[in-house]
Amino acid sequence: MNLDQIDIRDAFFDQLYLKGSIDNNVIVLSADMDAFSLRRFAKDFPEQYINVGVSEQNMINIASGLALSGKMVFCYSIASFATLRCFEQIKVNICSMNLPVTIIGAGAGFSFGYDGPTHHGHQDLSSMRLLPEMSIIELSSNDLAQKFVNFAFENNGPLYVRLDKGPFPEWKEYNIDFSKGYRILKTLEQINLISNGFMARTTLEVAKRLTSNGINCGVIDLFRVKPLPDKLYEEIICKSKKIITIEESCKTGGLGTCLSEIIAQSENNCQLQVIGTPDRQFIEYGDRGWFHKKYGLDEIGIFNTIINNI
Amino acid sequence: MDYNIKDLKKLQNKASKIRIRALEDAVRARKGHLGGSFSCVELLVSLYYGKFLRINPEYPKDPNRDYFIMGKGHACLSLYPILLDFGFISKKRYLEYGKNGSSLGGQLDISIPGVEYNTGSLGHALGICAGIAKAAKIDKRDSRSVALIGDAECDEGSIWEAVMFSAEHELNNLICIVDRNRLSVTKKIESEVLFGDFEKKMNLFQWNCNVINGHNYNEIFQALDNALISNRPTMILANTIKGKGVSFMENDVRWHHTIPSLKEVNIARKELGVLNNKI
Repeated sequence: MNLDQIDIRDAFFDQLYLKGSIDNNVIVLSADMDAFSLRRFAKDFPEQYINVGVSEQNMINIASGLALSGKMVFCYSIASFATLRCFEQIKVNICSMNLPVTIIGAGAGFSFGYDGPTHHGHQDLSSMRLLPEMSIIELSSNDLAQKFVNFAFENNGPLYVRLDKGPFPEWKEYNIDFSKGYRILKTLEQINLISNGFMARTTLEVAKRLTSNGINCGVIDLFRVKPLPDKLYEEIICKSKKIITIEESCKTGGLGTCLSEIIAQSENNCQLQVIGTPDRQFIEYGDRGWFHKKYGLDEIGIFNTIINNI
Repeated sequence: MDYNIKDLKKLQNKASKIRIRALEDAVRARKGHLGGSFSCVELLVSLYYGKFLRINPEYPKDPNRDYFIMGKGHACLSLYPILLDFGFISKKRYLEYGKNGSSLGGQLDISIPGVEYNTGSLGHALGICAGIAKAAKIDKRDSRSVALIGDAECDEGSIWEAVMFSAEHELNNLICIVDRNRLSVTKKIESEVLFGDFEKKMNLFQWNCNVINGHNYNEIFQALDNALISNRPTMILANTIKGKGVSFMENDVRWHHTIPSLKEVNIARKELGVLNNKI
């Protein structure tokens, strides 16, 4: 099966499987979370897979002990629980001791929309951003997911990654230089849209619609949110009159906030528009598409928000 | 240095010296947690001077070493003299305690040779030790993992997540020692909800458990020896006295982090066996 057809979780865990098969120091911890290809890892490498049950704090503590003993650890849970539920353990153990632990958060934004605000992932990214030693990656395509696994080994430190679900076809036409931290999906213009993860695809569609309405804009997949890429300022912000960030995260502390921190210090007059979820918890139930439509995060909603602010 | 000195007199002598040093360091720096430092001295002396921990100051990161994590890192005043005595840290570094910009602070951190974890946040040590014990099992290393935690720390839910994990994974290379000094920062910990019938409760959690007098070397060594032959993780509930060794500090919540006055220091020195003002 080629990379276009498989679920991004499988693209990710299949690559991790390859790593695990040649290095028995690779350990995967799951807090009662499942994924099709993770089952293969668990079955074939039972010594390298531990389901800690519903105990995220313990998962991070165990991961810390394993990492202190030379293991390369991957922790898997729902984004909201994998970050906020065990924030203290991540901060004190993994970050302050710079341990090689990768936290994999499933369920970005509204992807577990029907399970209520406890399962929505709107603050995972912003909370992880608070941790100085943490690196943060958002995955927008299956090939990026594969390359990410290699990056985790090179990085060898605290890492948070948002892992979505469903097929995220490979973007062969966009060469990934992982170390760069971003890739240009549509040639830069005076107005540039910056997004990542699930929203990168929607953003590309929005850009096409804007172009056909006479508004040219570039699109950037900023997959490394922390540390922000060194060249981002020089190569993107300095060349833009307006930046529009599009994210499936709370606008407080997310991708838009990251950009605002750089733009505020810049000398050019680059404008910033931040599109994301409102600063609230959503005690309502629906699928991802329903939420996106309701809160203006679908293609039309984003398009209208941009047009109204031009 | 002969670490294998189970001779009671020598151990008692070590304990006295540690308490005196802790007192002097706290007084000099005007900082420190004397009550909880004094309550765990015999436990630390047993682990280090009783040669229970297989560690090498020449090679602190030996992958085959035993790991010791002091969850109650605020009691570091009792550990620093041991790290000095064993040669993990220099006298120069030791004397930095309490100074601004010091490399020895009010909590333990991994920049200190022989220290495995950045302490300060309670409830993590047992889970981390369980992870270390699990790694040793995976790697088939004969390595022990010892956590020393406070009784107030047992309020943290993560402790109990680790208790269940460790039993499930049959981590018989894991030992958790609870310094049961019966006082937290602000209150007495007398409730029976947790510590009543503790041995029975821990047995039901599939742990080996010993309830001992944490100031009695024979009982400490017996419990540690039991841990070595157990097929389960071992919990040692060490009944201790907060502020042990100085009469006015014992069992008084005030001495969690109070620094004694000059008059009090003089009484403490006498009780701890210092005849003049020098160690």
